[in-house]
Amino acid sequence: MHIASGFLSPPVWGAMAAVSGGALAGSLALAGRRLDDRKVPLMGVMGAFVFAAQMVNFPVLPGTSGHLGGGFLLGVLLGPSIGIIVMASILVVQSLLFQDGGVEALGANIFVMGVVPCLLGGAARRLWERPRPGWLAWAVTFVGGVAGVVAGAAAVILMLWASGSIPSGWGLGAAMGLMTSVHLLIGLVEGAASVAVIRFVLGVRREAVMRVAPSDQARRAA
Amino acid sequence: MTPYNRNTLLVGVLAAVVIGGVVSYFASPSPDGLEKTQEDMAAAEPPHTPAAPPPSPFAEYNLKGIPAGFLSNAAAGVAGSLLVLGVLLGVGYLLRRGRRAAAPGGAGGPPR
Repeated sequence: MHIASGFLSPPVWGAMAAVSGGALAGSLALAGRRLDDRKVPLMGVMGAFVFAAQMVNFPVLPGTSGHLGGGFLLGVLLGPSIGIIVMASILVVQSLLFQDGGVEALGANIFVMGVVPCLLGGAARRLWERPRPGWLAWAVTFVGGVAGVVAGAAAVILMLWASGSIPSGWGLGAAMGLMTSVHLLIGLVEGAASVAVIRFVLGVRREAVMRVAPSDQARRAA
Repeated sequence: MTPYNRNTLLVGVLAAVVIGGVVSYFASPSPDGLEKTQEDMAAAEPPHTPAAPPPSPFAEYNLKGIPAGFLSNAAAGVAGSLLVLGVLLGVGYLLRRGRRAAAPGGAGGPPR
């Protein structure tokens, strides 16, 4: 879902650079307190994993593919502030080295694939902090993963529309419908993958990801 | 480095290298959801002047200088994954150091 160069007008990409720059600055200010020696390596490898996973486009409709975003699962596993830092790092590398996403559109892309899904994931995080996260955590994560992708897609259309990059023959509503319906399908994969990756990482690295609940500590000690 | 962190890095890097270096070769070549939407709206040409992309040996996920194919894609995927890892370990280290400096007396208490 990377916006390429030349599709956003200077006021739009400027505003989005300010929004995402602010979110990133706030995240950097908050993240130090949330990092410990076990979380730093995990944050590194989660970033490498999401970068790699984003290269794997899967077919969704004839002639259309999608790829994982990863922001939602990072928001759950690392919290929104570290998640935003990881997504921003990935998107900067993609833009500068791989020509994936316009350089001037970096702020917009960080907002769409980082800030929005990471904040949603952060909201779902407390369900996974329970000693034994059950079907509710799975369901909310699946729906949240879908919602993050669809919300990001809607934001992209609004930015393109505000930039005059949607042809006059297409109304905002029609463009929105086209973009969000495709991303609803992509989002289903995002939601399922988010549940699977979160369950795996919590299975092997729970104590690096989350504070162990007191009741859980007691259970383990018993 | 503790065995715990060493294993985190080993397993994570292995997963990223296999996915970015091997699995990604089999990725669908079709345009993604946004590109397809722009094509369907006949809006695939940028209306504003595109910024010149910075020169890079890995443009479009292929290593420059060798023919586009499995090796070229694998080199880009592995290099990108390791670069992201390196950037984040650096950022994480700096943030941790900042926190230690802000809290005299060492580690500065438990996280969060």
